[in-house]
Amino acid sequence: MAEIYDIAIIGAGPAGANAALTASEQGCRVVVIDEQSKAGGQVWRVKSAAIAKAPDTPETVAGNALRDALSISHAVHMSDTQVWQIEREADDWAIYVLAAGRSRKIMSRALVLASGAREFVQPVPGWTTPGVVGLAGATALIKQDMTLPGQRTVVSGTGPLVFFVASEVRRHGGTVAAIVTPNHRTEWLRAMPFMAARPDLLWRGSIWIADLMLARVPIFWGYAVSEVSGGDTVTSVEVCKLGPYGAPIGRVSTIHADSVCLGNGLIPAIEAAQLAGVPLEHRPDLGGWVPRADSDGKTSIAGLFVCGDSAGIRGAAAAEIHGKLAGLSACAFVGKGPSVAPVGMQRRYARAARFGMAMTALSIPKPGSDGLTTPQTIMCRCESLTRDDITTEIAAGAQSSNAVKSGLRAGMGPCGGKFCQSAIARLIAKTEGRPETDVPPPTPRPPLRPVPTAALAGDFDYADLPIPKPAPL
Amino acid sequence: MGGSTALQVARSGMRPILLDQGDLGQGASGVNAGTLSLQIKRVKLMPYALRGHHEWEAMGDTVGFRKTGGYTVAFTEREVELLHERQAQKAEAGAPITFVSDNALRAAEPNLSHKVLAASFCPEDGYANSSLTGQYYRARLRDNAIPYLEHSPVVDISQDQSGFALVTPQGSVRAKRVLLAAGAWLKPVAAMLGVDLPVQARINTVSVTERMPPLTSHVIGHATGLLTMKQKANGTVLVGGGWQGRGTPQDGRGEVMANSVVPNLALAQFALPQLSQARVLRSWTGFEANVPDFYPLAGALPGVENAYVLGCVRGGYTIGPYIGKLMGDYILEREPELPLFDPGRDFNEDTI
Amino acid sequence: MIRLVPDHATLINRTACVEFEFDGRVVTGHAGETVLAALMRAGIRHLRDAPTDGAPRGAFCCIGLCQECLVQIDGARIESCRQIVSGGLTVQSLGRPADG
Repeated sequence: MAEIYDIAIIGAGPAGANAALTASEQGCRVVVIDEQSKAGGQVWRVKSAAIAKAPDTPETVAGNALRDALSISHAVHMSDTQVWQIEREADDWAIYVLAAGRSRKIMSRALVLASGAREFVQPVPGWTTPGVVGLAGATALIKQDMTLPGQRTVVSGTGPLVFFVASEVRRHGGTVAAIVTPNHRTEWLRAMPFMAARPDLLWRGSIWIADLMLARVPIFWGYAVSEVSGGDTVTSVEVCKLGPYGAPIGRVSTIHADSVCLGNGLIPAIEAAQLAGVPLEHRPDLGGWVPRADSDGKTSIAGLFVCGDSAGIRGAAAAEIHGKLAGLSACAFVGKGPSVAPVGMQRRYARAARFGMAMTALSIPKPGSDGLTTPQTIMCRCESLTRDDITTEIAAGAQSSNAVKSGLRAGMGPCGGKFCQSAIARLIAKTEGRPETDVPPPTPRPPLRPVPTAALAGDFDYADLPIPKPAPL
Repeated sequence: MGGSTALQVARSGMRPILLDQGDLGQGASGVNAGTLSLQIKRVKLMPYALRGHHEWEAMGDTVGFRKTGGYTVAFTEREVELLHERQAQKAEAGAPITFVSDNALRAAEPNLSHKVLAASFCPEDGYANSSLTGQYYRARLRDNAIPYLEHSPVVDISQDQSGFALVTPQGSVRAKRVLLAAGAWLKPVAAMLGVDLPVQARINTVSVTERMPPLTSHVIGHATGLLTMKQKANGTVLVGGGWQGRGTPQDGRGEVMANSVVPNLALAQFALPQLSQARVLRSWTGFEANVPDFYPLAGALPGVENAYVLGCVRGGYTIGPYIGKLMGDYILEREPELPLFDPGRDFNEDTI
Repeated sequence: MIRLVPDHATLINRTACVEFEFDGRVVTGHAGETVLAALMRAGIRHLRDAPTDGAPRGAFCCIGLCQECLVQIDGARIESCRQIVSGGLTVQSLGRPADG
């Protein structure tokens, strides 16, 4: 018989872990399920067991505080556990997870999704070359294993992350060959009023940039990586200037490097919410398609709550508070805790969200940015499908993400479309002259992560097969 | 099926237009497991299935057609009995099905479980890639300048002296005749013309693995029908077997149920042990419509002049392109090559 | 040169070294880190070939989603960014499926 919890929470990042802490404080039986070995999510990813000693960073400190709090709470933390399927079972939720090579079911009355984000990368020629990693991907490598993607790295992308990664590359003894950011300094100036709310981050960011300038690292403002060269590994990178709408407008320079970090901001990981049936809405200011939810995490589905970046990219500080709000909403749903969240909490959330959304705004794709994806550029990495392949399919009448997926397998590979769908949907919209709102992501399909057949089969006993009445002859 | 009929009537100069509530070919014909097997067809539908196979063969690479031959296996004495009884009847009805020896099976499918007690073989069996159905018909309709409207659900149909008016959110379409080929959605569509069709839907589950090295080269079935399995040319293994999901066509989405996926994959791994090394990437459901006697609806819509219905074929993916042509002939007032299936029949009597 | 961001590389202490194999090549890593991290520090970036065009691929998302860093260990497929290093591990790359 599966365990029944009051509240199950998927994801132990700032949102999920805080939802768990809040709900267990209110006396709920809580389980928080996470695929990492320790809580913290991507932003506060724990250092691996291989790191015996290393200087702390603000991320380590914040992560450790959260991990300590979670470890002394009553919440059950299932680590190294991947959720592969979510179903409604009567009024409860059945959550199928994969841990230690086995599948099992967890039951809960309320479900909080805090599945975080993944990054969006606008495809450019050569982005599949080994040595090209995501910008956020690089932070995972660095935070967990204190390992760099290479010795000489071009760090390219939008928002504050590009400067964080460049600074971390330097802190870990690597060389930053160049910083390339599609953002202009004027965009940052526009974000300044919001930055004022976070002097700590403003100060850190200033140090990073001053350090990079002292080290004479070239910073290409208003540029993008337009091509990566190399065979088995990266050898050089071409960067080009971007026009006012983000389209490449020539003036190419070549930079020698053995690695590249590429990122164009974060997009909410909405697959779990889609699978649970939450309606979506298109919110470029929140990173693209997001599950429709209130600020306290409530969705239109009874007993289902979403919070943190998976409800829209608002950043870690907002996610912490959003997690608490969603935790309280879930408590109220199961009849525990206060029926309304403290007013102060909502206000603090709104303030943190404003800052986070100002950062997200730096990554909203510009109308011309898809020009970086040339006709021969691979868009679907799993199936090696180029932009030409996709536009040919659209020209042949495929009008939706589902139709392109069916016709070409774009999104049917092992990643399940996680790294091609956003760019493909945008391409469909642009080619057909329709708004992006008209081209939603493809129909969600379980499993949420690839599941070994052996884990599903378990100790299958042939005699247990329910033999149906034979089909009519 | 609607696409096939449209092409057939257009060949004789009629001017069809196709309306689809979603993308073309994304109903049952776009999401089924793609099995083209005579071993799982009904005895009385065998002549249709044989001709259906030829239609798919003619479409060839454009729909990912492969004639691999197919084995149906039995693991218990009861299943052996079932296999013999059923396949013998299908062979009698014209399917080239034979029973094969252990050695022959091992030679053909060395990776199959050695627990197989008996197997039948049909060289006509194979598969097509159901994901390509929409792409295929879209191209054929365009080639023949047949208009089609996607994402245009018909919300109302009315009839007057001059014909039918079909209302969609994108506007109205007028036509002299109307063919309802809405698969699992036939019931609500027929209701717009005041006809109650006893259509129900099964919610079949299909799963697919990541690419694997060659494991099996034929379509594999199970005597009880609980498993169909094939490895596609790209190495992925597609697993079906009619395990039920949840949901209704009216709600628009079928839901995969772990309680169906798990035993379905376990049985697949039982039959093909090396599948244990593959990861499942996707599971999905498709609505398969049927009526109480599990024979097709293909003919005039009872009580409504110039309205026709086609669906609930039972093996509709295999037979669809063929019966769609027959339907076209019927609408053209020609004698179809094989008889159709009167939608006005008494479904509780043995009328076929 | 003045550095505002200090170089911490020498301040990082790792657990004892262990050896594992990647396609027959001996790689040194540290128990508890990911196979990906050990391969990266060994300068091994080309982890597999794409199944359709055979082009070289390496780690991309580093958080277990993109499947680019997939390797084979004891016949099972796992993302090298999620597999923890232990001594004696035998890791194989995934090439093209035999029949493409």
